[in-house]
This record gives sequence, C-alpha cells and structure tokens, in this order.
Amino acid sequence: MRKPDGKIVLLGDMNVGKTSLLQRYMERRFPDTVSTVGGAFYLKQWRSYNISIWDTAGREQFHGLGSMYCRGAVAVILTYDVSHPQSLAELEDRFLGLTDTASKDCLFAIVGNKVDLTEEGAPEGREGEGCSPRQAGGGPTSPRVPKQVRLEDAMAFYKKILKYKTLDEKNVPAAEQMCFETSAKTGHNVDLLFETLFDMVVPMILRQRAEELSQTVDITSYKPPKRTRSGCCA
Amino acid sequence: MMNIKAFTLVCAVERELLVAGKECVSIECVECCGRDLYVGTNDGFIYHFLLEEKPVPTGTATFTATKQLHRHLGFKKPVNELRAASALNRLLVLCDNSITLANMLSLEPVPSGARIKGASTFALNENPVSGDPFCVEVCIIPVKRRTIQMFLVYEDRVQIVKEVSTPEQPLAVAVDGHFLCLALSTQYIILNYSSGVSQDLFPYCSEEKRPIVKRIGRQEFLLAGPGGLGMFATVAGISQRAPVHWSENVIGAAVSFPYVIALDDEFITVHSMLDQQQKQTLPFKEGHILQDFEGRVIVATSKGVYILVPLPLEKQIQDLLANRRVEEALVLAKGARRNIPKEKFQVMYRRILQQAGFIQFAQLQFLEAKELFRSGQLDVRELISLYPFLLPTSSSFTRSHPPLHEYADLNQLTQGDQEKMAKCKRFLMSYLNEVRSTEGANGYKEDIDTALLKLYAEANHDSLLDLLVTENFCLLTDSAVWLEKHKKYFALGLLYHYNNQDAAAVQLWVNIVNGDIQDSTRSDVYEYIVDFLTCCVDQELVWAHADWVLQRSEEVGVQVFTKRPLDEQQNSFKPDDIINCLKKYPKALVKYLEHLVMDKRLQKEEYHTHLALLYLEEVLRQRTPASSQGAETTETQAKLRHLLQKSDLYRVHFLIERIQGAGLPMERAILHGKLGEDDKALHILVHELKDFSAAEDYCLWCSEGRDPPRRQRLFHTLLAIYLRAGPSAHELTVAAVDLLNRHATEFDAAQVLQLLPDTWSVQLLCPFLTGAVRNSVHARRTMQVAVGLAKSENLIYTCDKMKLKRSSVRLSDKKLCQMCQNPFCEPVFVRYPNGGLVHTHCAASRHTNPSSPSPGART
Repeated sequence: MRKPDGKIVLLGDMNVGKTSLLQRYMERRFPDTVSTVGGAFYLKQWRSYNISIWDTAGREQFHGLGSMYCRGAVAVILTYDVSHPQSLAELEDRFLGLTDTASKDCLFAIVGNKVDLTEEGAPEGREGEGCSPRQAGGGPTSPRVPKQVRLEDAMAFYKKILKYKTLDEKNVPAAEQMCFETSAKTGHNVDLLFETLFDMVVPMILRQRAEELSQTVDITSYKPPKRTRSGCCA
Repeated sequence: MMNIKAFTLVCAVERELLVAGKECVSIECVECCGRDLYVGTNDGFIYHFLLEEKPVPTGTATFTATKQLHRHLGFKKPVNELRAASALNRLLVLCDNSITLANMLSLEPVPSGARIKGASTFALNENPVSGDPFCVEVCIIPVKRRTIQMFLVYEDRVQIVKEVSTPEQPLAVAVDGHFLCLALSTQYIILNYSSGVSQDLFPYCSEEKRPIVKRIGRQEFLLAGPGGLGMFATVAGISQRAPVHWSENVIGAAVSFPYVIALDDEFITVHSMLDQQQKQTLPFKEGHILQDFEGRVIVATSKGVYILVPLPLEKQIQDLLANRRVEEALVLAKGARRNIPKEKFQVMYRRILQQAGFIQFAQLQFLEAKELFRSGQLDVRELISLYPFLLPTSSSFTRSHPPLHEYADLNQLTQGDQEKMAKCKRFLMSYLNEVRSTEGANGYKEDIDTALLKLYAEANHDSLLDLLVTENFCLLTDSAVWLEKHKKYFALGLLYHYNNQDAAAVQLWVNIVNGDIQDSTRSDVYEYIVDFLTCCVDQELVWAHADWVLQRSEEVGVQVFTKRPLDEQQNSFKPDDIINCLKKYPKALVKYLEHLVMDKRLQKEEYHTHLALLYLEEVLRQRTPASSQGAETTETQAKLRHLLQKSDLYRVHFLIERIQGAGLPMERAILHGKLGEDDKALHILVHELKDFSAAEDYCLWCSEGRDPPRRQRLFHTLLAIYLRAGPSAHELTVAAVDLLNRHATEFDAAQVLQLLPDTWSVQLLCPFLTGAVRNSVHARRTMQVAVGLAKSENLIYTCDKMKLKRSSVRLSDKKLCQMCQNPFCEPVFVRYPNGGLVHTHCAASRHTNPSSPSPGART
C-alpha cells in the first residue's frame, strides 16, 4: 500500500453530500449513494504526491471516529447543506471539536453543497427536478427553495474557526478563498474546491517532510552510556 | 454481494477426542504453536495435541490431531488463556487470575513456581523491545486496578519492569514494541508504556459490546468500533485503511492477509483489507473463539476446534477470473505482491493481467483489454491465434499452457455472431497496427504483419496498400495465397515487388489492365505500371513491357522513357535504341524527340532534323484534306516554327527542299533566314504573305543575340523592300511608315532620311523623327558627360603628380638606405610615399624577396 503524503478529511452532518462531492470529483459521476458506514478514502495523485481524501460518516453513531480520522490531517473540508441552516450550525457544535487532532497548521475549507437546489443555484443540469441529490435515507424531496445559508454566513464561520484555533488571519488563506458553494450533482465548483486545496496542501507536505528530517535521530552515532558496575556482582 | 472462496473450514479436533462422555466440559481457550495445539477447558484441564496436515493434491488440506497429553491444573476453575513461548519451551497459563508457567511438552508447572498474580488478561509483545531472546515481554491487565503492568517472563522466573496507570479500567490489550493498544471501559487508546504518553483513538461503549483489540502487523491494530465497524489504527493514532463493516455482534477477529476474518454467533465473515469488501461468509454456529496463530486461523466452539484453511492466492485469483471479476482479481494479485517472491510474482501477475485481458476481450471491452494485454506483455500471437487462419502456416507458435482463456477460436467466442466477429477483427487490426512498431513485436514481426495483411485484405481496408509499400515482414507464400483468395491482385503485385519479384508484379498488374483478372482496388493501374516502369532500374523488364504500354497509349506509354529519373538516364538507355523501338509509334516518337531536343537539349543534328521532319510531315498531313490556304496555324505548325526558329542544328537545305512547293511560306522564310538570306526571307513575308508584323518579328528574332549592326541592317533591308515598291503600293507605304514610327531606334536616321520620298510630311513621321532626334541628343549628351568625366580624372592625376614633384630630396652621407642601411653613393634612389629612401637595387631585390621589411608602396 502506498503511504499517503498528506491527508484531507471531509466532515459534516449526515446528508450534506460528502460522499457525493468526493465521488463527483474522483469518479466524475453523481450516483445515488448510501449512508456512509464508518469511513472510506480515496488516494489522489497530485503532481508527485499521494493525497488521501477521507470520507467520513455523518451519522451520530460514528461521530467518535472523527477525531482519529482528523489526526494529522493537513486540511479539513467542513461541509454543510445550503438549504439547511442547521447543517452549518452542526459544523460548529459537533464537528469543529473533532479537528483538534489535525495537524497544527491544518487548512479549513467551508463548503456549502447542493446549490443546485436553490433558486439562485448553479443553472446547469436542472433536469431531474424533484429527485434531490440527497444521500439515501435522506429527507423529503425539495423543490427549488430560496437559499437558506448565505456565503457570508460561511465566511463568518470561517473567521470563527480562526478565532477558535487562535490563528492570525494574516497567516492563513482568506475566507473568500476558503469558502465554496458547490453542487455535487452538477459538478459546480467541485474541481475548484479540491484542486485549490491540493495546491495549498503541497507546500505543507514539503514543510512537514523537512521537519521530519530535522527530527530524525541518527542511531548510528549513538554511544552507549558507560556501564557502572552493579553492586551484587562486584 | 458476490462471494469468493478464500477459506475452507476443516475440523481439527473432534469433540469426542476432547470431552468424551463429559457433556458439561467446554473449550475455554486455544493456543497453537507450529504443530502443537493446546486447548484449555472450563474444568481446569489443558490438552496437548499434535496437528498433522495432510495435503490433498486437489482441494483443501485436511488435519488430524493426535492427543499427546492432558493435565489438570489442580482446581476446578476454567483455563482462561493459554500462550506458548516456544523459545523458552514454556506455556503461559491464565487460570483463576494468575499466570503460571508450564513446560510445553510435559505440561508440568516450572519447579520454581514463578507466577504473576492478579491478572485478568494478558498479551505477549510480538514486536519485543528488550532484545533478550531468553525472555518474552508480557503485558497484563491487573484485576480491579486502573493500571497495566509489563513483565519479562524467563524460563523459570518473572520480573515486573513497568507499571503504568490508565485513566479508566482497561479491558483488553495488544502490544507492539513500546506501544499498547488498550480498550478502556469507554474508549480505545494507544499508550506508550515507556514514555507514558497516551493518545485517544475513539470512544467505545464496553458495556454494550465486548471490545476487540488485535495486533495485525507492525505498528497496526484492528479494533471493534461502533456500529459493527472493524477499525484500523496505527500506533501513531491514525487510520490508514478504511474500516470494514461487520455485523453488530462480532465476538472475535483475526487477520490472514489480505483478509480480515470476524466471528459472530452465526457466521464467520471474511473481508478484504484491500477493498474493504466482504468476500466470503461461512455459517458457523456457537463459535466463541477466533484467533490467528502465525498465519493459521483457528475457530472453536465450546466443543470442537476448526481450522480455516486459506486457499492459495493463485487459486483465489483464478476463481475470480473464472467468474469474470477482473477488478477484484487484480486488486488481490497486487495485494499479494509482498507475500510472493518478486520473480515469481511478476510471472504470476503478468499471467493474471493477460487472463484478465482475455476476459475483457471476450466481453468486447477492447480498451480495457488492450491496456491489460499491454501491461501484461502478452505475446500478441496468443491473440492472433484466436482468429482462424491468421497465423502463418510456418509459425512455430503454440498457445501457452495452461491456457490463458477458454476459447478455441473467435467463432466459439462470438458464437457465430458476425457483428461481434467484425468488431473483434477491427480491434485486432488496430492493436496489431500499434504493436508492430513496438518492442513487443520483436521476434515475431512476420506473424504480426502477415496477420495484419490478412485482416486488411479480408476487410478490404485501405491500409493494406500502406502496409505493403512500407517496411513490412509479411511472409510471401502465406500472404500471396491469401491475397489471391481475396482477389487483391494489385496488392499481391506490391507484395511481389517488395520481395524483389518485379517481373511477377508487373505481369500481374498487366493482367488486371487486360481484364484477365478482376481487381477494382485502383482504376489507374495502367498509369501505375507506367510509373513503376519509369522508375524501374531493370532495363529488361522495361523493354519487355515497352510495346505493351505503348500499344495502350503512345503519349502515356512513352513516359517510360521520357520521365526516367535523371541520375540513371545517362548511362543506361541509349536514345538510338529507344528511337528504334518507337518507330512503330509516331506520336510517342515525337514526344521522345521533343524530350531529347527541348528538355535534355541534346545538340545532335539528327534529332533536330528528325523532329523537324516529323513536325513537317504532320503539318503536311493535316493540310492536305482541308487545303484551304491561310487556315489557322495548328499546334504542330506552331511547334514546327518554334523549332525552326530556335534550333540552329537541323539541316536547313534538306528541309528547304522538302518544303518547296508545300505552301508553307512562313516556314520557308524562317529557313531562308537561317541561311542568312534575309532578302529572300523578307521578300516572302512581305510580298507572298503580306504579313508585315511577321516581317517585323523576323527582324527581331533573327537578330536576337547577335550584334546591333545586324539588326540595323535587317530593318534597313525591310524598309528598302517597302520603299522599293514605290508610292503606288499604298499598303507598303503605310507599312514603311509604321515600321519607322514603331522602331525608330533601330534605324540610322540620317540614312533613312535620304531614302524617304520628299512628299512625306513631317507629321507623318513625327514619332520616328522625335525618336531619332531624341536618340541623337541623348547620344551627344552621354558623350559630353563621358568627356567631362575623363577630363576631371586627368586633372586629379596631374594634381597628384604635381604634389610629388614639388619638394626636393636632399642626399647626404647621413642618409642611409632604409633597407641595407648603407649610404647612397650615386644620385639615384627610390622614394616611397612615406618618404623612405632606398637604393634602386634594394627596391628591386625587395620585390623579388617578399619577406623583407616593406617600407610602403613605391611611387
């Protein structure tokens, strides 16, 4: 098994479309998905680097696994559903805490999925009206509705994250850069999301590698401490 | 979910062997170490069996267990756990919360009575850190204390090395190096017992379900997670594999690469670690123990012990392939890479890729098939051999054994479906076309190209000709038979040509043109033959077919001689031979002579005269029927005139004789002109033909490239002819005026003025006079300029001479010759422009000896 060079984790409430986003990007399709059990991951070759992208289960039952999945992550994609304000609130209440285990300079992307369902959503691919791209077990089919969550809300949340992580806004990418509105169904902004992140992640991988190197101890230069005679055999 | 058969369940210890007659006795724990199998029971007995594996050539091995010994531990408590430390020849026995050491063979407790008390469970460190081969590292979970303890266990003593407290009561443990993976009551953690650093993995409710902690390899553990997940975690606290999805009530897990095996109340399930998919389900009731021992997986109920025998990976892969599950087979094969020696793996993997390729091929998934064939480095003949009759009869190829697929040929594969057959053939065409230029084709280029030729011929494909006119390895005999069968005679000719059998090739094409054989590949085979012969270096072949090509078309056929490449023309075909041959074909002969005279510019009187004569004959032949004087000049006539004017080589007298009385005044005039009889020629033009412009033309072309006086003479002659007729011939007077006005510069104006009749008005000759005056003025001025320039040049030289003469040179004894450094004895010297003085003889010797120093140019 190839060892990935960096890890990106998708977090978010159930039914916001994490699996669909990932499948849209990796497999260029939008199939019906079933509720993710536990987690799954894809390996993506980006330039000469292997990046693993973990899809996590949004269900409460698997919530406890999130911390472990996030451990050492170089980026976390926090996903909500633009037609469900609660899904954004959940990110703050339940999911942000899981990212404590992520790498210390971890990047955060806030992604509002399902813009195709809203009135101002991406215009492409409106056939199949009414069969909403919800994950199986999903809610009621929704006709076009006014967008419930504005991009500004996501940006405000992004700034909250920075505060929570006590990160200086100057040292991290701006909110405008890291907040996306996507549609896994039409593919709107999906490539942009992942590829923007990959490009940002590569320098972090390089930095991490450099740090690892400097921490490596050369065991060949180790000298055993001088033995002191133990009392009993003296 | 599609299943594969990864394991077979075989019985190892029958219940009769163990608990004969005692119904209440049940198995508590199992340990297996090499061939030694130990079983602990609920009534305090340890049984020792010897396992014997009986391999069955076809199918799964069977096991028989022979009981060696059994021993009662002394109290009626169940034996909770057994672990063998084979290096120490000791069995660690957990019973009644205390771990004792027993001899592995005799099952007797060690005399020292060494034991660890108060242990609820324990685990051996399979990745020990002490480096001492005579001890094992054991981690125990003490009863009712929130700690874990590390012990070193020797042959007959135990030694505690570390005690670490834990945040909650630990329930299960696995060890790797310094790392403990612990199931606490509400969560799993990784604990480094040497540094004390711990890391939370994930929460888990031990009250609902029994936790499972299982070391599956270096620094990696398998844990029972929420919702029936089998979670993977490394000592760093991260997950590198996606979880597997078990049932909710899993009670045991084991690993046998690349599978994770889990046990619940009713089933043994097998998941692949490579794709996380469930691969096999074996019904197994009342099982309560599932463990792997150095790769051997054992399950047990309370009454019997069973072994899960893995099927060889190759067999599993073959099963998958047999079920057309290509993707899974490849994943499994790739996953097996590290378990199989590299050389062996590569051979195996290549074969699997090839097999997978044929499966895709049979499903007409050509893109996938091609990629698999390519990466599997398939001997392309395997594929060709599927297509009947494509491999050359001489090919030494036999299909690999065991076969890569189950198909005898394409007919069987497509079941006679013509459309599928055609698709397969198209695929092979494109595949062979790609392969033939790669390294993979080395060694069997003949087979590939011959097969490709056959496919193209059969499909009437345009590339057939491309294949044959470029470098190829088509086998002659095989290909020839096939091309004949498919009536590709033109292509067959190309094949013959490629094999240096030009005569056969040309004969075949000739037959096509003659209609003896039918092949509609090209409609211009005749022209092709002509081109072919034109470039053909084989003279005999050209001569052999010369008559044939000329008979079909003189004009085209003669190209065989006229369009030959320049380099070989000189030394091979002799013009006289060709002319001889062309005698029967007048049109061709004319073309050929034109080629010699015009294109090659051969300066040979014979050819020029011959050509002129042929033209003349043709002109005469054309004139006779019409015989109307002054008819339009024909093309041939134009050619004749052109030749007569331009060439100086033909025999003029001979032609004049032939032309006499033929009524060709223009031609006659030209011929007279060639003889220098301008008067005669112009007379014919002016008086016979009355063609004044032709007369002017005559003056021009006749004097072309000659000296100007000749031209002037010609014009004056013409003028004289015009004027001689006198004023009564009004027509000629006009012609004379026009001539003067149009060609004013060609005349000597002074002479002309004397000739002209006095009656002519100035106005009439205005253009001529203006031109003449202008000419004369121009000449005068030009001369004046020249005179002026010459004068000024003369002045410049005079000035230079003056300057040089102005100063005097004084000779004294002190003045030395610059060359010989001697004084001047006579008043004679040479002075250079820079003022240097030398002896005359020195200056002379300097010019004969250029290496001496040069003081400058001599004046």
